[in-house]
Amino acid sequence: MNPTPAILAENLVKRYPVVRGFRDLVRRPFERRTTTALDGLDLRVERGRAFCLLGPNGAGKTTLIKILATLVLPDGGRASVDGHDVERHPGPVKNAVGYAINDERSFYWRLTGRQNLEFFGALYGLRGPARDRRIDEVLRLTRLEAAADLRFNAYSTGMRQMLAFARALLADASILLVDEPTRSLDPQAADRIGSFLRGELVEGEGKTVFWATHDLAEAAEFAHEIAVIGRGRIRLQGTVASLTGEGRMSLRQVYEKAVGDPPVSR
Amino acid sequence: MSGGSRTTALLPGRLSAFLRRDFREALTYKFSFVSSFVGILLSSATFYFVAKLVPPGTPSLGPFGGDYFSFAVVGVAFSSLLGMFQEGLSAVVRSAQVSGTLEALLVTPASIPTVLFGSSLYSLILQVFRTLLHLGVALAFFGMILGRVNGPGVLCVGVLTVLCFLGVGVLSASFILVYKTGNPFGWILGTVSGLLGGVVFPVALLPPWIRWVSSLLPVTYALDGMRKSLLASVGFAEILPDIAALAVFNIILVPASLLAFRLAVRKAKKDGTLSHF
Repeated sequence: MNPTPAILAENLVKRYPVVRGFRDLVRRPFERRTTTALDGLDLRVERGRAFCLLGPNGAGKTTLIKILATLVLPDGGRASVDGHDVERHPGPVKNAVGYAINDERSFYWRLTGRQNLEFFGALYGLRGPARDRRIDEVLRLTRLEAAADLRFNAYSTGMRQMLAFARALLADASILLVDEPTRSLDPQAADRIGSFLRGELVEGEGKTVFWATHDLAEAAEFAHEIAVIGRGRIRLQGTVASLTGEGRMSLRQVYEKAVGDPPVSR
Repeated sequence: MSGGSRTTALLPGRLSAFLRRDFREALTYKFSFVSSFVGILLSSATFYFVAKLVPPGTPSLGPFGGDYFSFAVVGVAFSSLLGMFQEGLSAVVRSAQVSGTLEALLVTPASIPTVLFGSSLYSLILQVFRTLLHLGVALAFFGMILGRVNGPGVLCVGVLTVLCFLGVGVLSASFILVYKTGNPFGWILGTVSGLLGGVVFPVALLPPWIRWVSSLLPVTYALDGMRKSLLASVGFAEILPDIAALAVFNIILVPASLLAFRLAVRKAKKDGTLSHF
């Protein structure tokens, strides 16, 4: 068993500059105001788990995922993915992680699903017959074989989300980062996504799925482990059973107790 | 295989993937090539008739073979090409920011320079074809007069010019990465070069009090060297001042642009605005 955790964050800090108006810039040109998104966050995610990061809007979920995907640099502390530091070794991190971006605008709408995967597959370093085989595999896994040669603009919202998973799986990365995958999906489609992530990817393929959501029911149903983030820190972490005291409290009660005010401005 | 050599080995495959992507997208816009070809015909026709107002042997055209139509065609065709090199990189960054694909590109193991250059490669190659087509149309249908072409001169001026304008392009892309719009490099060089860089009239016609500005613009030397090499039947020695000036621009611009790009990527990642628009 590999003792290195899939994801490790220690005292992670991220502050974003606040956009200021012209009047403010003239009055106080050298002042730098920031909003704290992550405020000394500590987190450890073991391998082969469906891990849900629960938190309200603005709690820091997307910031944490973007740091783990090397799109944002932290201001303090450190984070590593698959044992690689995200700031010092972004290359190996990118090879270890598949980030399922749920923005449908992140695809080329006039290309087919397969053509999109061929393009991104090449960027992941796949070539020739190996690339084509891998594309067939991820299309089968995401049940998009029949729609593979349709243009992306003909896909339904659920199919677009599945193609985002297919793209993130192209490189066969061991860790999948997923940010609110069921946002804007109907309940049945959301259930299919949840079953797919835990059933197919974690239990079937042995991957680690790190999954940000604010849907308590989704987290309770599909996650092996949950962390609640609030005001830029992990407030609670554990299995649903341990967090709810084997059912003595509801997950909603636990969540509301853990999450306080929105992120603070400094 | 080490990380660096693996990345280098994967580079041709990644660049050809960008080319294939853009070619496939272009195929879905069926009339774009036709409209581009019609545009070239109309531009050539316009300068063909304007050239009838300029008598052959006009002194300011002497160093460039003496024919205004040929002078203007080279200026317009190559300034469009240089404009693409100058603006192409920032345009693809902006387009990927706005369309929402930038984040998906940047989470792949492809390096940011690969993404940047690969995304603009199709447009750059297409613009090279358009430039050749422009010259071909002018030669075949409008009587453009070529001199004894100085091949090494064309090659040398061409390579130095492309590097120089790619440098400006990288500077522009760096600005767009951080500030999103309002790229000053493209605006200053694009607008000022059109007027003062000798695109459709010789720099010698400018009043002396403003002519010095032309000497600060790389396009002045690029067009001067290219016209002399194509139209004026001159030897390599006569375009050496242009080559030297372009080399100086390269010595300054290439390292400055690479440094600016590295700093821009770091700032955008620090501010969390890499894919914002």
